Amino acid sequence: MSEQIIIEIQGVEKRFGSFVAVSDLNLTLKEGEFFSLLGPSGCGKTTALRIIAGFQDHEEGEVRIDGRTMGEVPANKRPTNMVFQSYAIFPHLNVGDNVGFGLRKSKLSRKEIKDRVAEALEMVELGGLQDRKANELSGGQRQRVALARALVMRPKVLLLDEPLSALDKNLREAMQLEMRRLQQKLGITFVMVTHDQYEAMTMSDRIGVMFAGQLKQVDKPEVLYSQPCNREVASFIGGMNFLDAEVMAENSETLEVTVQGFGQMTIGVNPNVQVHDKELLVGVRPEQLEISAEKPEGYDACVQGEVSDVAFYGESVHYYVRIDGLPESIAVAVPNYFHTVDHSRGDTVWLGAQSASVIDLGKRETLGGDK
Amino acid sequence: MAGVLRSDTGKGLILSAPATLYVGLLVAVPLCILVAYSFWTQTYVEIDRTLTWANYQEAFTDPLVRHLIIRSVAIAGAVTLATVCLAYPVAYFIAFRTKKKTLWLLLITIPFWSSYLLRVFSWKLILGFNGVMNSALISLGLIQEPLTFLLYNEFAVVLTLAHAWAPFAILPIYVSLQKIDRSLLEAATDLGCSKLERFVRVTLPLTVPGIIAACLIIFIPTVGDYVTPALVGGSQGKMVANLIQVQFGAANNWPLGATLSLLAMLSVACVAILFVVAVTALGRRIR
Repeated sequence: MSEQIIIEIQGVEKRFGSFVAVSDLNLTLKEGEFFSLLGPSGCGKTTALRIIAGFQDHEEGEVRIDGRTMGEVPANKRPTNMVFQSYAIFPHLNVGDNVGFGLRKSKLSRKEIKDRVAEALEMVELGGLQDRKANELSGGQRQRVALARALVMRPKVLLLDEPLSALDKNLREAMQLEMRRLQQKLGITFVMVTHDQYEAMTMSDRIGVMFAGQLKQVDKPEVLYSQPCNREVASFIGGMNFLDAEVMAENSETLEVTVQGFGQMTIGVNPNVQVHDKELLVGVRPEQLEISAEKPEGYDACVQGEVSDVAFYGESVHYYVRIDGLPESIAVAVPNYFHTVDHSRGDTVWLGAQSASVIDLGKRETLGGDK
Repeated sequence: MAGVLRSDTGKGLILSAPATLYVGLLVAVPLCILVAYSFWTQTYVEIDRTLTWANYQEAFTDPLVRHLIIRSVAIAGAVTLATVCLAYPVAYFIAFRTKKKTLWLLLITIPFWSSYLLRVFSWKLILGFNGVMNSALISLGLIQEPLTFLLYNEFAVVLTLAHAWAPFAILPIYVSLQKIDRSLLEAATDLGCSKLERFVRVTLPLTVPGIIAACLIIFIPTVGDYVTPALVGGSQGKMVANLIQVQFGAANNWPLGATLSLLAMLSVACVAILFVVAVTALGRRIR
């Protein structure tokens, strides 16, 4: 990944009637980056992608790709190519003609087109399937053809609209790794839209999280996970226990807080949070809590509760623990090391938390309520 | 027996039985009678049932028959071409450019609420010597004398039939346009196609089935049409069906009429098959 900027989006706004689909979108993407726009359906992420592709006009703001302002440039003249959610394989053409569709317009000779199509098909591991008819392809193969058809154009930016959502789980996971490898090999900027947090996290260099038309946070996956900027982002990425806390004292790096149920702790200030109230919201990931029958040693805060539910996930076991004075049960995830489920419903257990794993989430707000 | 009735094949047979019977009795049987007649001879009031090739010999040697069959196929071809070319933009408009699809489809069928004969006749009123068209042009001062080339020729037949058959072309083309996944069009644009290239390379090939259906629906019945040529065709607009009608009517020569019918049918079938093969092959060549 170079430092060269490939896409610059400044203050883009798109309204459908009175509905604001994308509001004040600002984003800068670097060349060779794998970027994901993550958010629930209807959050405006696909509209944002279509604005970059040129399929959607926008009211305000500017999109620059590779240094050129895209304002008047129609979709067919933009240095971008797209993998559609439905793959949009031309049903009247075979695989080779589908992949070569965009090249026929170029000044390349028949032989060059043939070679580039063959090369692109090799790249997506469909070598030699040029003559296969479009309706004879499996879902995974269609996805690969769509990818090859876009990549054969050698775009500056490849746009992917939920590219894996139509595939079953195993195939999807295999394709995630494969697409990531392909992207790193080619060094092309990928911009992917997805609602699947795991897909976004496993594939992307950076993720932008969108809610209700607004880009809430843009960060590396690990930062999004450890320092989400608010409750919405925290709840969309991974599991999270939310707790009310009260700020007793603060300095530039730490906050003295009293966390509901857990008591007094000193936690780090989250640099992504903008406003700190005295009334604070904190979060703790289920996998970062300790659960045991005896009071655990060496934890910054411990609290006793009763197991209300147990869910076995295979790779881990989730316990839900009721604690007096807390409105909701606390979820604890324990890796399944020894094929044992140690606690059952009704057991009295201890929870232990390290202050380093308690995340400052800024002011309390109801979900979706901030504007 | 009960097992057979419950099986898929049994159910299929039962469900298709009424249609099979209907087609069998009302198409296959008359067709056989027609074939039989074509080998017989008319003697004033009776039919001579000795088998003979005489009718076919007469049909093939008479230049009038050849001329009329060719003219019928040509007129039907012209009608088909004109109708499909006019219908495609309408179907395109309904499928892609309007949200009030139902309203437009309803509007298109409105001419069908009046009788076919009435619609043909109204064209006669429009195109006639003292018709709407001529009176309008004269009162506008554009012409001094009424135009005589409007009515009673091939042009009038093509115009009248194209109008009558328009909805039959619009509907199948509309359906095939409507079926096109919109993301295919975006994909074509994304891969660099202008709107025209996109139409030629994606939309048109994907509507080939609709175009073929429209062509066959119009071409086949039009070849055998005799009401329109009789009313607006004049002498140069006469078609093979008019000759057939005469054989079964005034000329009282049913065997020759049957022979002509079969020949007309045969030529329609040949042209239609050739057309489908050619268009399908052409559609495959677009890449």
